[in-house]
Amino acid sequence: MAVETMTIEVAQASAVGFKAIGAGLAVGLAGMGTGLAQLGIGGAAVGATAENKEMFGLALLFTVIPETVVIFGLVVALLLLFT
Amino acid sequence: MAAVNTTGPAPYIYACTRMRVRKAALLPREEYMRMLNMELPEITRFIEETRYKAEIDELASSFSGVDLMENALSWNLAKDYQKVLELVPGHLKHFTKAYLLKWDIRNVLTLLRAKIQGASVGKIKEIQIPAGSLNRTVLDRLDSEDSTDRILDGLKGHMLYGVFEREMSAAVESGSFARMENELYKAYYSILLKEAKSGVKGGAAFLKYVRLDIDTKNLETVFRVKGESDGEKIRELMIEGGTFTLDELVRFAGSDSLDEMIETIRKKLNTEAFDSAFEAVKEAKSSQGVEIGLIKAKLTEMDRISKLYPMSVAPVIAYLELKSYEVSNLRALARGKESNLPSESIEACMVV
Repeated sequence: MAVETMTIEVAQASAVGFKAIGAGLAVGLAGMGTGLAQLGIGGAAVGATAENKEMFGLALLFTVIPETVVIFGLVVALLLLFT
Repeated sequence: MAAVNTTGPAPYIYACTRMRVRKAALLPREEYMRMLNMELPEITRFIEETRYKAEIDELASSFSGVDLMENALSWNLAKDYQKVLELVPGHLKHFTKAYLLKWDIRNVLTLLRAKIQGASVGKIKEIQIPAGSLNRTVLDRLDSEDSTDRILDGLKGHMLYGVFEREMSAAVESGSFARMENELYKAYYSILLKEAKSGVKGGAAFLKYVRLDIDTKNLETVFRVKGESDGEKIRELMIEGGTFTLDELVRFAGSDSLDEMIETIRKKLNTEAFDSAFEAVKEAKSSQGVEIGLIKAKLTEMDRISKLYPMSVAPVIAYLELKSYEVSNLRALARGKESNLPSESIEACMVV
């Protein structure tokens, strides 16, 4: 009997742990993906702005577009943790 | 030895984007057409409103008229090329440095020719464009030398020193630097081919450019000497390493059937970029018309290569080439206007 109670507690604790790992992976991997995407766009944006200051606004806009990916990751993490 | 890439692709993306933005900022065809209807002072004012402002302002107190424009253009070109060399990273710098060697050939030949003709140091300085590895300080030192032997000594350590040393005495003796020039360009292209095939990453794009440049130069020579039967003489004028072998080029030059020759060249080049240049040859246009047709074809093909290899040395060289043609166009425009040439004649000298 004692063994069964322990098993349920462990299973519940594991579920919480796995949720936390999943949330961490969702934000972490999405962040890495965003970083990779911004590597190219950021380099090009800085290059374009260095040549033509008027490009700054547009270049910044293009640079932040991959941020949506990390926001999706964050939303998934929040859903995992709080539902 | 080429620099090793330890920073990832970002610096390459940064540099190639800068080159693209610079390329987009070059004067478009419409601006040249507008300038063709202007007088020289108007053209100078117009140029002052573009990227040449700093140089025009700087030199306005020392020069005027067409001299002001020419000097400002040369200064701007040299400064621009040196800046490009500063900002390109890793293997792009390596290839760009090799590509810019041709400015050393141009500057040293200008210096030697000017010395033989007894030109003043000031005048020599005006016509040189320190865009290669010989910077202004080195060129100033060479300009002030009185004898060609001393100039040769000053070139010790240069990548082309061997050719300078081998050809100098015969050229000075005969007073003609044509053979020396041919040999220097042959050595230049063999250096470029060696660099492109050295196994450095990005060599494929550079090799495509070098082959294209060699093909353009060889075709220019073929169309100039067509009908000539002295194979050895033609062989000496050709550059090895392009799409065509020396035997093929000699055969083209001696060919009786122009259509057949052009068809063979077209098939082997496998691109439509050269079609308009071939049309010019068929219509028996002037050698200048053919030459400009070939340059335009080369630039179109280079643009294609730079899109095929967007993060390579191709966009850098495409910009450097286009910039040098912009400067030569503006120079032709200024000189043409000063000599009161009709607009059609000036336009025929420009690559637009």
